[in-house]
Amino acid sequence: MGNPESQSKEPRSFGLQTPGTKGVRGTKRYAMVIDLRKCIGCMSCSVACKTEYGLPLGIWRTWVKVVDKGSYPTTKRVFMPRLCNHCDYPVCVRNCPTQATYKHEDGFVLQRYNRCIGCRTCMVACPYNARHLLPEKRTDGNLPRMVVDKCTFCIHRVKKGLVPSCVQACVGGARIFGDINDPQSEVARLVATETVTVLKPELGTSPSVFYIGGDWEIMDEPHSYTNRTHQVREEFNDFKRNHKGDAFADIVEGEPLMSEVANNWYGYLKTIPHKAKETLNAFKIFLFD
Amino acid sequence: MSDTRPVRSVILRFALRIWVVVLSFAVVQGGWAWHEQWRLGLVVTGMSDQLSWGLYIGQFVFLVGVAASAVVLVIPAYWLGIHACRSAVVIGEALSVTAVSMALMFVWVDLGQPLRVWHALPWLGTPNFPASIMAWDLLVLTAYLGVNVGLLIGHGRGHRKSAPLSRHRLFWFVVATLLGLSIHTVTAFLLAGLPARPMWNTGLLAPRFIASALVSGCAWLLVTGWILAKVGTWRMPEAAGRLLTGVMTGALVIYLFMGISEWFVLFYHPTAHGHGAGMLYLGWEGKSGLTLWMIGSVGVQGMAAMVLVVRPWRRRPGVVLGMAMLLFVALFVEKGVGLIVPGLQPTPLGEWVAYRPTVVELRIAAAIWAGGLLLFTGLLRLLCHPVPREPECGSASTDGRCAPPRGPE
Repeated sequence: MGNPESQSKEPRSFGLQTPGTKGVRGTKRYAMVIDLRKCIGCMSCSVACKTEYGLPLGIWRTWVKVVDKGSYPTTKRVFMPRLCNHCDYPVCVRNCPTQATYKHEDGFVLQRYNRCIGCRTCMVACPYNARHLLPEKRTDGNLPRMVVDKCTFCIHRVKKGLVPSCVQACVGGARIFGDINDPQSEVARLVATETVTVLKPELGTSPSVFYIGGDWEIMDEPHSYTNRTHQVREEFNDFKRNHKGDAFADIVEGEPLMSEVANNWYGYLKTIPHKAKETLNAFKIFLFD
Repeated sequence: MSDTRPVRSVILRFALRIWVVVLSFAVVQGGWAWHEQWRLGLVVTGMSDQLSWGLYIGQFVFLVGVAASAVVLVIPAYWLGIHACRSAVVIGEALSVTAVSMALMFVWVDLGQPLRVWHALPWLGTPNFPASIMAWDLLVLTAYLGVNVGLLIGHGRGHRKSAPLSRHRLFWFVVATLLGLSIHTVTAFLLAGLPARPMWNTGLLAPRFIASALVSGCAWLLVTGWILAKVGTWRMPEAAGRLLTGVMTGALVIYLFMGISEWFVLFYHPTAHGHGAGMLYLGWEGKSGLTLWMIGSVGVQGMAAMVLVVRPWRRRPGVVLGMAMLLFVALFVEKGVGLIVPGLQPTPLGEWVAYRPTVVELRIAAAIWAGGLLLFTGLLRLLCHPVPREPECGSASTDGRCAPPRGPE
């Protein structure tokens, strides 16, 4: 990175998308520094984000990855908060077929719900798994459904001079937010003076979330599958769920897996009249109500 | 054969009706399943946030390949001047129309908001040109469908009038050829352009796709020709059959060679690129249900290549037909089932997420296949029922490459 002031970078676009603004003078580029030495794994950020946006059950825009290292007595538990990296060269923006995902001039990578067709190319493209699909069934029918959703860096708060919700809620002050192009900001100071790392720098996305004190075994995924020791135990499955998660299965009636049907095909057949009735009802409502 | 013809035709007509009824039933039940997916959302599928593409996109990629292979017959028939292939071109065109329609349907059912798809169309919506490969893919697929439908209509008319090939139509054949190559290339770029997915992020993906597309497309055409000959409506010219067999063999050998070089890079030294493929072919701590299928698929391909490169065996219709069927199934497994899910695993977070298609997914996929077969049957019925005459080949053939014309018995 270097000190932004010492460079006179021109915006680069690689010909295909909005130019990167990191280190470009005269522009704003909001970024986050996460000091992992101060993270205590309390998950306040996840909860704050969830309450800020009223996210559906099982969906988290930010979550904390937890890894247990080593075996007793030499053991340590490592935390790593994760969120959208708001890349300077976002792969999701490049791949979106309808320009539903776009990069704000101040560096936020945002989503236009009304334009999203739900093709999920951005989710496949995202190297940080930061995107999720909103479920069809929501408590309020006016909320967006069946479109891809993501962290917004709380642009509505930032535009009013506040920090994002997760930063506000962070107990240990591990999350620091600011404009990295402004040399006076704390973010710029930390990035310039501390040993920072980013996730997957080799992919050319230029992430805007920097980590201080990142542990190799927790950051190097999935390369570390072949390299890490067997004592490492990961628990992040419990903290990054999705619309298909177990918690959700009780609420939205899903379809059984093929093996379940094979084991109980007679039971499956017996549900068909009920489903047919439901379908007819749905058509009736659609046509006559 | 003429004495058994009335009985035979009655039986065949009855069989055709049964075939159409069965396929229609499959389409209707799939429409119902799609309605369930529409009502409840994609939660009824086996896909998740971590593994956000599944059976649908796999089938889409496979079918785009099948569609692209119509060029196999167009290039020799119209560019290289092998006239005997011209009567077979119509089958290729019908196949490409069918396969593109099925591919577009698979994209359609995969969308979360299918009614908004016009956002991705030029002029109507706001497509992300030129950056998004997905937008390009939708565009070239639609264009390919349009051009092929036009060519089919032209073929029907031209055939009735026995009109020679006009420059105008030749131009559109050239366009169709280029589009046919481009649809599969663009589909490969869609996957290969994702840095987050190391298994797909390889320059060899597009050539491999084209090669496998030629194999599966030729296999489909050969099997179709055999069925039509059995039914007695149409007989594929021998030159076309030989050509298809030759292209299938050559493409298969090239495909296997490219596969070997790919596997070497994936497995020689363990990098992130090899994780998905490792799960796919070798299994990873018992985490793959596809291992046997994939190894079987590769085994079938190797066996077919060894059989088909021997010229005397390649000349036997029975052997060629058996190999074509086996290869079609093998490539269906490898590309339609085995490409997408392992490419998404492990996820960027390093997770292994289980994916199994649910009943709804399987029902919708079955319905789209049934609809495609219905369309294919209808097109063949429309276009191939009166046996196409070949005015160029009816007289003494000049180039010697022409097979003797075979009319209806």
